[in-house]
Amino acid sequence: MPIKAMTQEWMDAYKAAIQADPDYRNIAKDWEGSVALVVNPDPSKNVPEPIYLFMDYWHGDVGEFVVCDKAKAESARFVMTGDYARWKQVAFKELDATKALLQGKLKMKGDLPYVVRNIKTVNKVIDILGKVDTLWPDDHK
Amino acid sequence: MAGGYAGKFLRVDLSKGSWDDFTIADDVLRQYIGGSCLAAKLFLERYPIEADPLSPENPLMIMTGPMVGSGFPGTSRFSVCAKSPQTGIWAESACGGTFGPELKRAGYDGIVIEGRSEKPVVLSIIDSKIALSDASSLWGKDIYEATDELKAADRSIKALVIGPAGENLARIAAIGNDKGHFSGRAGLGAVMGSKNLKAVLVKGNAGKAPKADDDAFKTAMKAAMQEIKESALAEGLHMMGSDANMDLGMVTGDVPVKNWTSGGEFDLANSLSGPTMREKYLTKAHACTNCPIACKRVVKVEDGPYTAEEGPGPEYETCAVFGTMLMNPDLTAVIKANELCNRYGMDTISCGSAVALAMELFEKGTVTKEQLDGLDLSWGRMDSVLELVKKMAYRQGFGDILADGAVHAARRIGGDAIDAVVHVKGLEAPMHDPRGFHGMGLAYMMSNRGACHLQHFVLATEQGMASWPQLFDMKDDYQGTTSEGKAALVYNSENYGILANSLAICHYVAYSIKPETLRDAFNAVTGFGFTFTDLLSTGMRDWTLKRGFNNLLGISKKDDILPKRIMTALDTGGAAGSVPDVDLLLKEYYELRGLDERGFPKAEILAVLGLDDLKARLYQ
Repeated sequence: MPIKAMTQEWMDAYKAAIQADPDYRNIAKDWEGSVALVVNPDPSKNVPEPIYLFMDYWHGDVGEFVVCDKAKAESARFVMTGDYARWKQVAFKELDATKALLQGKLKMKGDLPYVVRNIKTVNKVIDILGKVDTLWPDDHK
Repeated sequence: MAGGYAGKFLRVDLSKGSWDDFTIADDVLRQYIGGSCLAAKLFLERYPIEADPLSPENPLMIMTGPMVGSGFPGTSRFSVCAKSPQTGIWAESACGGTFGPELKRAGYDGIVIEGRSEKPVVLSIIDSKIALSDASSLWGKDIYEATDELKAADRSIKALVIGPAGENLARIAAIGNDKGHFSGRAGLGAVMGSKNLKAVLVKGNAGKAPKADDDAFKTAMKAAMQEIKESALAEGLHMMGSDANMDLGMVTGDVPVKNWTSGGEFDLANSLSGPTMREKYLTKAHACTNCPIACKRVVKVEDGPYTAEEGPGPEYETCAVFGTMLMNPDLTAVIKANELCNRYGMDTISCGSAVALAMELFEKGTVTKEQLDGLDLSWGRMDSVLELVKKMAYRQGFGDILADGAVHAARRIGGDAIDAVVHVKGLEAPMHDPRGFHGMGLAYMMSNRGACHLQHFVLATEQGMASWPQLFDMKDDYQGTTSEGKAALVYNSENYGILANSLAICHYVAYSIKPETLRDAFNAVTGFGFTFTDLLSTGMRDWTLKRGFNNLLGISKKDDILPKRIMTALDTGGAAGSVPDVDLLLKEYYELRGLDERGFPKAEILAVLGLDDLKARLYQ
């Protein structure tokens, strides 16, 4: 049964998928710090308001995974912002997140060299994101 | 006169010790713009292309473009052009730094150097006074020493200098600009050495070349600065330099490992990466003239066996060729190898590739310790590598064999040594694996100076650093390990990217700004009023002209190939199991480019591009 994207239930499922992945713990063993995703609103896609998602990663473990407010999102070590359609492209692997950053389709606030050094971790969590059975806002009324 | 141009070129005859100015008509500039494109036009018109590259008959051209010296970001560039002593075909090597804008300030768009001096000389263009002076006391000095001496009395002078490798006619010799910027590829330092020309000095007093529309230029300039400020690519380059590619490239299969025989060495990449250099050895970022990105690294190594004084740091290419290619995890050894290549004046890609060949042959027993004067050339032995680099510059022992690059070395060694060299048309490939990015493989096959990542923007478009759907039909995201759709991507990325070497502008700036902004700035400077179609047509003319130059020297379809090693799939890494579909790539590309079955531009293409003289020579 697909879960509505960017809801708390979906965040819980995403967290569980990361925890269940056999390779994640080893790949992410060096990663320290929280990541926030900011989804810009797009009423035409059933996203009327901005959505803020906060995810805490720490040396292969995962902590708090919540839908949050703007202030909490901005407290994350890394904040990535983009239009809903771009995030969906990333989830579907139609657009690589690194390429999206370089092309300006996603914006990031945070330590860029750190992300580059840990690019395998970034790719892994995106890979797992694509495995969560998801119902996207523009796929339902 | 068209805007942006100084309005004259300097011709120097070293055999006679004389010089004069010449001009080029506006309609010719409009067709060929400047830089390496204009150099190819002049070469074909005025010089014998069959001449030995190290003979007095081979001209050495140092060319700027109309944007150079305008103040627009990334326009510090100049191209050095000649027939290559390494490959025997067209050679050009673009360089950033300080020389290009200063040459424009001196009132020249370019310099064409003919003949050969009897004794070592320095050519100087200082405050409108031109002179050839004796350089006997400088001959034998390395680039850092000679540059310091030449600039001792006046630090504002900009210098182009060769080192011992150029003097000794090493066919991989480079030319250094103010110690930190290099025209590295295809052996142009040896051409300079063959002319007994140790250095070219320039200091200008002619002011900036007038622009066609100052207000439009200011608008384009403002837009460019804002786009660079907002560019994550530019930010990454500023923070990590070009070596930001090391970690990312190891994941995607871009980075060659152990002389192109392995992949997926993530710890090795981590130890050599831009973030590591930044954390441990970077003292500051450095910029070419008029560049807000400042991607150049200045580094210092205080401890360990490879200490280095503060100086220019290695680019990604150097970190790969002296790092992953040699199975060397020690970034300080890479920094030292970079310094030695800078001082001796050798292209790091060719030098490191020749060393990688030697290491592989040492492992196989084809090359022995005795031949290497006792050096242990096992993988990763950087103490031996640094000794070997010196031997190459001075043509000592086995270094003499490697000094002309990996292809010449493999041919002298014989047997199947050539199978261990990754090259196209005699030029060793840069550090981007076509098995990870098939479009790059096609670009290597079709680049006019041999395997090259800088005659086009394929690196940016195929790897997703830039997306320009307004310029030509392209996707946001290309899968690297597929050949489908890549011919069109390469063709278009060549037509746009090759302009970087004629305008002349830095690739990184061009990747970071919108094509509209570059077009508007170009038009504001020149007054040409070019559309995108005009710009891409100029790129087509540029590519076709140089292809014709090479066709006249015997290049044909048989040379448009990838080497055996690249056509062998890797077992590990991001490119595992993948090889380019060469037949598909070439078939589609030949159709787009209008090449006939021999690999010659078709007569109708030459006619459309206004290359009637070339058409007459190819079809006589």
